[in-house]
Amino acid sequence: MNPHEQLIRTSIHDAVIRAVTEISADVKGLLEDALSRETNETAKSMLTSMLENLSIAKQADKAVCQSPGYPTTWLSYGEGNCPNYAAEVVMDALAEATKKGYLRPSIVDPLTRHNPGNNTGKGVPNIEYQYHPGQSYVDFIISFKGCGAELGNAMRIFTTATLKLDKDFEGLKRFVLETAVNAGGKPCPPFGIGIGIGGQMDIAGKLSREAISTRKWNDVNPDPMLARLEDELRDNINSLGLGAAGTGGDTVCLAVKINTAATHTAIAPVCINFHCWVARRAGIRIYDDGRVENLL
Amino acid sequence: MATYHLSTPLKEEDMRKLDVGDVVYISGTIFTARDMAHLKIRGLLEQGQPLPKDFNGAAVFHAGPVCLKNDDGSWRLNVIGPTTSIRMEPYADMVGKLGVKAVLGKGGMAEDTVEACKKYGYVYFQAAPGCAAKLAQGVERIVDVSWFEMGMPEAVWHLEAKDFGPLVVGMDTKGRSIYADLKKAAMKKIDALYPA
Repeated sequence: MNPHEQLIRTSIHDAVIRAVTEISADVKGLLEDALSRETNETAKSMLTSMLENLSIAKQADKAVCQSPGYPTTWLSYGEGNCPNYAAEVVMDALAEATKKGYLRPSIVDPLTRHNPGNNTGKGVPNIEYQYHPGQSYVDFIISFKGCGAELGNAMRIFTTATLKLDKDFEGLKRFVLETAVNAGGKPCPPFGIGIGIGGQMDIAGKLSREAISTRKWNDVNPDPMLARLEDELRDNINSLGLGAAGTGGDTVCLAVKINTAATHTAIAPVCINFHCWVARRAGIRIYDDGRVENLL
Repeated sequence: MATYHLSTPLKEEDMRKLDVGDVVYISGTIFTARDMAHLKIRGLLEQGQPLPKDFNGAAVFHAGPVCLKNDDGSWRLNVIGPTTSIRMEPYADMVGKLGVKAVLGKGGMAEDTVEACKKYGYVYFQAAPGCAAKLAQGVERIVDVSWFEMGMPEAVWHLEAKDFGPLVVGMDTKGRSIYADLKKAAMKKIDALYPA
């Protein structure tokens, strides 16, 4: 049992509230960069509105966006420090945030569409537990990802032939660009794109969400080949002219993030996962000695 | 690109003057409606049943607001912003028949809406995505809510707006769509970058 239960409860609660009341500093910085470079008048106006909106929401203590999206949580722990009460703390924080108007009650049954009004339901909150032997801290990351973005997502099981392995992955790159164009303004651009490659369909899907929800959008992939691919895809997507809000301009994509896992020799599953510019998330690390630091 | 300030009831002749790229602010009646409201309206029309609101000359906003209940049972708006409009594409013609003259949302719509905009003289407007706190400043009050049992986002909220915007004309009555034009140009660029 972790000796710092009360500290962990408070830290997780505060992280959930922080996630729903502001956007990540890395994403805000990228938005400001995009506005400073923008040459299209409509896109300038849209980007200006977005930055103004952040100030208005902060001053008025309101939600940045009306849609709370769908929350996913990553919780990793080591020997003897798993906070097995985390789900309970997250649910309490969700209920509080809903009551205060930070979160619209939006979670429903997938078929009957019944809305219980408290942003929870079967399988929600969704917590991805990861056990890492020897880890002397608990990492908690929560991300609320909007669902217009989901309408642009795509998945394809590639092969070496369709990847165009012999042509620097041109098949994969074309799929990403076509998917971005088909998504257009649906994912609230300027968006981020998480790409999961590997495993089978389920693994690729999880990797794609992890890539865009748990990594800083201005980080550099430690794998040089993936870092080059991320930059090339982002720059070429932006060269297509879709722009902020999808109504034309220089920046439709703030970041492309690729996470991979090994797969079977016959396949290369690829999942493309969009994230709106409203990157509501928070991450904390709580050391076994009681120190707490912010990851996101 | 011109800027206009329009009030409801919106007139077809005014809508037919607008071109893609124009900027508009709307005052007056705005109804929110998303997937479930459109579905329910279609069902009532099929059964010849009355609708809770008169949509003639009104603006319909693809949005699900965050509302808070006052002690006296009335509602106040917290924030409101556009949801992804393409989900409402199957109702393009029905919306025109209802007399709606402005559809507000984000991300644009498709061919059926292009045709309905031409036929019925309504316009599709793009609101700034994810800007719910800013857009809420253009709403003066909530008049009432219909179909709350469908959940807060899916209910029809009757809003009284004052200079709600800025809204960009994304699809006009002349068959033009910013979204379709951009997509066509972008697909050509992809062919040059990474040939099929």
